[in-house]
Amino acid sequence: MAIITISRGSSSLGKTVAEQVARRLDYRLISREVLLDASTRFQIPEIKLEKAIHDAPGILERYRHSQQSYVAYIRSALVERVVDDNVVYHGLAGHLLLKGLGHVLKVRINAELKRRVAIVMERDKIPEEAARRRILEDDRQRQKWTQSLYGQDPWDASLYDLTICIDTLSVDMAVDFICRAAAAEGFQATESRRRKAQDMAMACRVKAALVDEFPQVGVTCDNGNVLVYTGSGGDRGSGKLAKKLRQIRDMEEKIFHLETHPGVALPPDAV
Amino acid sequence: MSIIMISSDVPEMENRIAEGVAEEKGYDRLDRRILADAALRYGTRPERLNEALESAPSLFRRLALRRWRYALACIQAEVLDRMLADNLVCWGLAAHLYVNGVSHAMKIRVLSGKEADAKTAEQMGVPLHKSERWRAASSKRRKEWTMAAFQEEEADPSRYDLVIRLDQIDPVEAVRTIVGASEYRKFQSMTYSTKCLTDLALAAKVHVALSESMTDVRVQARDGSVVVSTRVPNRQKRKKVAAIKQVAGRVHGVSYVEVHAQKGFFKRTG
Repeated sequence: MAIITISRGSSSLGKTVAEQVARRLDYRLISREVLLDASTRFQIPEIKLEKAIHDAPGILERYRHSQQSYVAYIRSALVERVVDDNVVYHGLAGHLLLKGLGHVLKVRINAELKRRVAIVMERDKIPEEAARRRILEDDRQRQKWTQSLYGQDPWDASLYDLTICIDTLSVDMAVDFICRAAAAEGFQATESRRRKAQDMAMACRVKAALVDEFPQVGVTCDNGNVLVYTGSGGDRGSGKLAKKLRQIRDMEEKIFHLETHPGVALPPDAV
Repeated sequence: MSIIMISSDVPEMENRIAEGVAEEKGYDRLDRRILADAALRYGTRPERLNEALESAPSLFRRLALRRWRYALACIQAEVLDRMLADNLVCWGLAAHLYVNGVSHAMKIRVLSGKEADAKTAEQMGVPLHKSERWRAASSKRRKEWTMAAFQEEEADPSRYDLVIRLDQIDPVEAVRTIVGASEYRKFQSMTYSTKCLTDLALAAKVHVALSESMTDVRVQARDGSVVVSTRVPNRQKRKKVAAIKQVAGRVHGVSYVEVHAQKGFFKRTG
């Protein structure tokens, strides 16, 4: 049983595909719920979270780190939602936020600009030029967001297991492909993969608890052993960090062991 | 009945998937083995055609550049002619870059994923990071070639009906997916799509005939009528137009030739 993320440019019929896939496989379908979860848990207005996951970071963001915090909250909420697999997620950046989980089928739906413009014109009752501008601006923001936070181009096919052109292949065909791929061995939730998902959920929870005060830390978790990496920034604030980690340790029952690795570079799988 | 074009970032994987699909479907194969016949037909050497698919000459070597473009034109004409037979799998000939607008010609891109880097490293006996660097350099060269030859970005996913990455989808599963996709009605040949392919094939034949003696020609065909666009200074216009009409008119299947002589640059020559 798999976790399926469906990414797409705005108005590319990705939502329709996601709904049909979820229906056919009898999977849960999630999208906005992730933002609501994050908003409730971390007491941040949903609109701010939506802006953080949609808009590219501004110039002041370098100094405020608020976007980084919000993304960490959203990531934590998303991983909690998918940890039991059998789920289709069609929100923003699923393929990046769930990076590191082995049984995630990452799908990209592409549609021609002309078709997307027609969809927006019909849906929002706006003229063609306005629809085109809206879509292109949306694409630009997506590109900037992904580049600035992950150093990648969202249109790069190598980020996805399947990239489907919905203009030539119909929605039904796309659903067929995705359902068939989801049954492949590579996307089945084995015991070790489920364990890894639970570890990632823990790491994300710890990261979300730390990110506001310590935006540069990275967290890994392996069978309940949580490691917090502070990077090469030295020991500044270590007393404050230690106090915070003790609070986290008290709150999280499932942490078997928690330690910090000061001055050590963040491993690639750290959240 | 369909045409399946397969492209990959790793030639060995392209070969493997294409052979698998051809085997499963019982389709004919259209790959570099046809270059010998193409060379014979167009009076050139197979090595020249093979090389044309691998590298582009410098823009400063005009004669080499002209020969290269002629070689590419020969390959296109041969490929498009053979595609009229239908029911085939095509790879290794860059067909996905010049067979456009034919609805029963399915374009698939297969990305090899990280395992391919590890395998290459093992085969070459080098560390993984060196293999990754080698592959990145190879991709860069390939990108330069496709831009020089067809002014197209090969890695652009919007060029393909489906892109499959092989990190967690194994090649056997990928073959099954492609075979399944080819059975959809959308990829069956119909009167109109066959006509589009016939027009492309005719245009390619005219283009190669013209490319023997001239450069900067673009050819479009429709139902036997051919439109040739070319760039020529005013003083040579009449002579060149006459030459084009004569050469193009001799190509089998051409019923009418129209020439548009312009002064501007073309985006592509085919």
